[in-house]
Amino acid sequence: MTRRLIETTINGRSHELAVKPNHTLLETLRDQLQLTGAVEGCGVGVCGSCTVLVDGGPVSSCLTLASNAEGREITTIEGLQAADGGLDPVQQAFLEQQAFQCGFCTTGMIMAVKGLLSTYQSPTEAEIRDYLSGNLCRCGTYSAVIAAVQSVVAQVHSDA
Amino acid sequence: MIRPFELHRPTTIAEASGLLMTLPESALYRGGTELLQVMKLGLARFAHLIDLKRIPALHGITTDEAGSIRIAAGTVHHEIERSTAVRAAWPALAELERHVANPRVRSIGSIGGNLCFAEPHSDPAALLLAADARLELEGAAGRRTIAVDDFILGPLESDVAPGELLTAIVLPAPAAGMTLAYRRLALAERPTASVACRLTVLHGVVVEVRLAVGAIGVRPVLATVASAALTGVPVTDLEEAIRVASPLVGQACEVVDEPGASAEYRRHLAGVLAGRAVRAATELMA
Repeated sequence: MTRRLIETTINGRSHELAVKPNHTLLETLRDQLQLTGAVEGCGVGVCGSCTVLVDGGPVSSCLTLASNAEGREITTIEGLQAADGGLDPVQQAFLEQQAFQCGFCTTGMIMAVKGLLSTYQSPTEAEIRDYLSGNLCRCGTYSAVIAAVQSVVAQVHSDA
Repeated sequence: MIRPFELHRPTTIAEASGLLMTLPESALYRGGTELLQVMKLGLARFAHLIDLKRIPALHGITTDEAGSIRIAAGTVHHEIERSTAVRAAWPALAELERHVANPRVRSIGSIGGNLCFAEPHSDPAALLLAADARLELEGAAGRRTIAVDDFILGPLESDVAPGELLTAIVLPAPAAGMTLAYRRLALAERPTASVACRLTVLHGVVVEVRLAVGAIGVRPVLATVASAALTGVPVTDLEEAIRVASPLVGQACEVVDEPGASAEYRRHLAGVLAGRAVRAATELMA
């Protein structure tokens, strides 16, 4: 099984990576690049804890082949930051609303929220619930997560 | 860890078909949301995956002069949800696509992959059956067009010949007075029961009904007896007809038990959802 050399952009930096066909994006991020923010929960695309953005859209990195990253822009939790270099507004809102408990699902949850906010400018609560229904939190922090998303949306509108 | 395999990246349908014929233990691969899942779980093993993402002909949505919409099989759910052509002609399909699985599946999973995998809970399959969509296939033996009802044979079984690819889904233009609605109930990510209804009303009378029921059996089926009970009915008398038709919907196929939802419950749900779908289709009439 031959490795393929791919060029990809991860968190704004271009990388040349040698990947095997059966390598997942999650394995490559964690094992080759030490980007351990995305984590493996279920391993079969159901729980959402491995969510990263590919060209702005959320994917399960555990079910995405690394070779699919070729020519794409990958964004992981490590790539998030505010314009001033501080925390991304979504990360800040999760802190302020205490939208996590054990934290295992949090990186995936935040990346899913980034996907949500790139699709909807001002999502309703129903749209937030619907969009995030594929990200599971066993601590049950859902209502705090929704509050965090709503506070980001409110902040964007008050800044505008 | 996914078992080792070789990845192939054809750029034409003919090339993909050729690879499929010559490579042993090979499978077509688009989004991988179903395929890589079963490979990871060890339920299926392939030595070669043929990646369809670089075949331009398998991507995009076009409308012909007659108004029928052709969705290339590799088009992802998210794109169908946002297509202005789909939203204008068949808004129920765009709405359905907004709720398929989760956003991660919708951003890379394709409608063609969904149909070929033939998972019995498929949302698009039930709607496309009610809409009388046609499926275009292409392989070494040439091209053919097939109805959804003939394509989905059973659980995880679709009518794809060796070396053949599903290339497009064609939805006819809506005829005068024709609307389409889809209703489902999902206790988890996949629907527990789903019903699609294509309704045609002319001069205040229901002239044609195509009810399709999904998820409750091993494949989506047309509920022909229930549909007949609604046909010829003045719209003003539709509620009474729905009361008669609803219990017939769950009789359209053998209903299976699944964890959290008995066959009896799912049969009941099918009737309730059929009523909702018929009402929703009626409300779409301008």
